[in-house]
Amino acid sequence: MVTKTEEKQLNRLESQVDNGGGGAWEYLCLVRKLKVRRSVKVLKHGLWILNDSKKRSSLGPEEWTLYEQVAVAAMDCQSLDVAKDCVNVLQKKFPESKRVGRLEAMLLEAKGSWGEAEKAYSSLLEDNPFDQVVHKRRVALVKAQGNLSGAIDFLNKYLETFMADHDAWRELAEIYISLQMYKQAAFCYEELMLSQPTVPLYHLAYADVLYTLGGIENLLTAKKYYSITIDLTGGKNTRALFGICLCTSAIAQLSKGRNKEDKDSPDLQSLASAALEKEYKQRASDKLSALTLAFKTLKVSS
Amino acid sequence: MAEDLVLDTAIRDWVLIPLTVVMILIGVLRYFVSKLMRSQQNPDAKVVREGQVVIRARNLRAGANFIPAKSFRARRAYFSNEENGLLHVPKGQGQNPQAQMFSDPNMAMDMMKKNLSMIIPQTLTFAWVNFFFSGFVAAKIPFPLTQRFRSMLQNGIDLSTVDVSYVSSRSWYFLNLFGLRGLFSLILGEENAMDDTQRMMQMSGFGMDPTKVQT
Repeated sequence: MVTKTEEKQLNRLESQVDNGGGGAWEYLCLVRKLKVRRSVKVLKHGLWILNDSKKRSSLGPEEWTLYEQVAVAAMDCQSLDVAKDCVNVLQKKFPESKRVGRLEAMLLEAKGSWGEAEKAYSSLLEDNPFDQVVHKRRVALVKAQGNLSGAIDFLNKYLETFMADHDAWRELAEIYISLQMYKQAAFCYEELMLSQPTVPLYHLAYADVLYTLGGIENLLTAKKYYSITIDLTGGKNTRALFGICLCTSAIAQLSKGRNKEDKDSPDLQSLASAALEKEYKQRASDKLSALTLAFKTLKVSS
Repeated sequence: MAEDLVLDTAIRDWVLIPLTVVMILIGVLRYFVSKLMRSQQNPDAKVVREGQVVIRARNLRAGANFIPAKSFRARRAYFSNEENGLLHVPKGQGQNPQAQMFSDPNMAMDMMKKNLSMIIPQTLTFAWVNFFFSGFVAAKIPFPLTQRFRSMLQNGIDLSTVDVSYVSSRSWYFLNLFGLRGLFSLILGEENAMDDTQRMMQMSGFGMDPTKVQT
């Protein structure tokens, strides 16, 4: 994940380049380093550098990296002829390169010729079974064709070898959620929380999954995770605040007869609902009445 | 015997500085030769997987407080289960890492190549220094030393009355050998910074069996 300072620097460079100041090359290098997906800008500024032969030659050997970056951005924006040109230039320069082979396969994938792209990726993987990028492109290919269970199979096999790759775990979790396999999604989110415990997004998603699974144990755990999210984001996460209110009311409903959980829940719920009301007053005061109505239906004390 | 010998400045110009320059150049040459000679390291499936498993297990240990107790226990059993846990090493089978290094032919070849690339230039330079730069006082060490160091530092000088602080060029060679390590890490980048001394320390061997480590 990109840190705040890096994001600020990136945005500053982007606005500088957009308004005509220099620094296009630094912007492109930063995008490449942070692996951010800003394909429209990359395409525009990259082409601006590449089409001017003076600037292109001033880059020296970095020119080819720029070609690769612009090719991928072009494929992302569906300007396939630009991508094809870049790939052809790279092919002429590096005829036997695996990296260029990967770009060609990506071009096939972008064009939509699934069978050929699949063949190209498989042959690349035979040459080098440890190429993580090609593995992941294959998963993306299968997913784009709509074959989610195939994508799950490929991802699981990939994760058997490369089990420390948190991006892959995240992708797997999202696929599981879209297929409503919540238990497996919970497992993936647990992996993510282990490797990156300071990212509130994963705690929030885990809490959501637990709340969806239901059952009093899961609801209690979900409430804890919503609280962690609020803690990590300094109280600003509206979704987590809502999550707490919903959890407590669901728990109250499920445990109608037994009342052993009453130690901290009224406080927590009233705090959460108070915080929500304050936020709505600040940001969307016209929806405040809808909020109070919702609270009343949930029988939330505020 | 506290006379001050006056050393010819020609010694400084023609011995000390050329020796340092030559050693730097030889070091840079060795770096590039070793880069050229480094064989392509094909990653082994098992090694890659083990590396990733270790990372995942480390994350589990570090973030254990962030997942529910049940999931933590499930994962811990996955890693350390008696029959098929991923990290479980049965008693007595834990391999000594050094023995492993020698049994793997590729790695043994690499080590031999590295050793050779270290020994040959050192030997050659040492012989060159001895041949051309022996028999005279090269430098004065700024602090006083005991008589014990005479045999080590004053090799070519056969006068026993000369103060031990006056050393021959052989000691300048050794000083450069150990001292230029810092300079090389500056010029050549962090990685292959001529870690001769480190490798020499490594060769003294570790004899630990990992399973016998009590936790």
